[in-house]
Amino acid sequence: MQIYTVSQVTSYLRELLESDLLLLDLWVSGEVSNLMQSSAGHLYFTLKDADSQLRCVLFRRDRDGTVLENGTAVIAHGQVSIYETRGELQFYVDLVQPEGVGLLHLQFQHLKAELEEEGLFDPARKRPLPPFPERIGVVTSPTGAVFHDIANVINRRYPLVELILAPTPVQGNGAPEGIVRALRALNDMEDIDVVIVARGGGSLEELWAFNEEKVARAIYASCAPVISGVGHETDFTIADYVADLRAPTPSAAAELATPDCWELRSRIDLYKWDLLSSISSQLSSWSDEVGRRQDRLEALSPDLKASRQRVDELSRGAWKCLEGLIAVRRQCVESLAAQLNSLSPANTLARGYAVVKHTARGEVISRTGQVRVGDNIEVRVTDGAFRGEVVEGEGENG
Amino acid sequence: MAEKEHTFEEAYRKLEEAVQKLEQGGLTLEQAIAVYEEGMRLVKICNECLNAAELKITQLQSLSEEGA
Repeated sequence: MQIYTVSQVTSYLRELLESDLLLLDLWVSGEVSNLMQSSAGHLYFTLKDADSQLRCVLFRRDRDGTVLENGTAVIAHGQVSIYETRGELQFYVDLVQPEGVGLLHLQFQHLKAELEEEGLFDPARKRPLPPFPERIGVVTSPTGAVFHDIANVINRRYPLVELILAPTPVQGNGAPEGIVRALRALNDMEDIDVVIVARGGGSLEELWAFNEEKVARAIYASCAPVISGVGHETDFTIADYVADLRAPTPSAAAELATPDCWELRSRIDLYKWDLLSSISSQLSSWSDEVGRRQDRLEALSPDLKASRQRVDELSRGAWKCLEGLIAVRRQCVESLAAQLNSLSPANTLARGYAVVKHTARGEVISRTGQVRVGDNIEVRVTDGAFRGEVVEGEGENG
Repeated sequence: MAEKEHTFEEAYRKLEEAVQKLEQGGLTLEQAIAVYEEGMRLVKICNECLNAAELKITQLQSLSEEGA
């Protein structure tokens, strides 16, 4: 027979209790009593029903603002183990809510807290959506309006895409597994740009598949960014928290996944005008520049107009000068002519002198020796001439 | 001249680039006119893409139960 120490027994009991899957993840309903708060902020209380009670502790780190009161009916989640120091069985509570809230709601809170702590909702992990997706995977039911609505929205907004429907039931037994399979099938295709996980509105129970942990993990594992569009605007599911983007409805998910081609058309038009106005303003600035250079070129080149004017002035001056010279010369000529005139024999003839020429020889006779009696002579007087004959003569010299 | 655009996105991105390049300025007259003409060609391609688009729908068949 072997003898154990007390510590060995309590330690053995602890290991035994903590290896039990049910006790590890336990939901318990009961009434709160013997509530007390330690100085460290932990809550100690007892959960009891008509026949039994269970010692409980809620550590401060799990309290998260929880306020308990003796006598209230609650549902608590946690793990059963043994407090070795005292050898007492204890329920280590990590979540407690008034009973009226409902079990699904509590499970939701619990899973949400767990996944949040694990980092599945980390905002830094949310991926941006591709602005121009080519292939959009849709995880939803092949029957019903949801896929039809999504296809309509995308056909209206951006019909350049291929929609790939990965069909799955979205409620009831097998829905979580189906959703996980659909997500994996799309993930295996590798060229999907974005995935929409969608379901129409329904009760909390009908939407429940989207609050399952395996669905959350499959969304998290998707290579392509995931948009969730589950239920109505007011419904929040775990899938919404883990998705890269939450859309309030399936149609809204389709809108978020695609650009609007009418907006694109107007942007393209705008770009067209940008191109036109940019090129025309550049062309006109170039042509202004050419004009400016032409002006400068003209400013720098010799001034033909001024030169022409100068030539004009000079030639006019020259002409004037020439005219002056001519006038002087003319005066000169006139005085010479007057002088000449004064020397001409005509005046002498007018005074009564005559010029006698030898008719035959034509010479002017100024001496007697030039003629003999009988020679014909020509006598010129002031108003004409007459002929005559030498009759007799006597020279001074004989 | 750039190579053919295979998708709307490619043509649209190139159009954005062309507009930006032209608006930045600093190009020669020949370059500016070439960028402008390229941009106008892309405008045409983008509009043709949008006009010709037709939504395609494929449904994955029989997602097997394995691996679930």
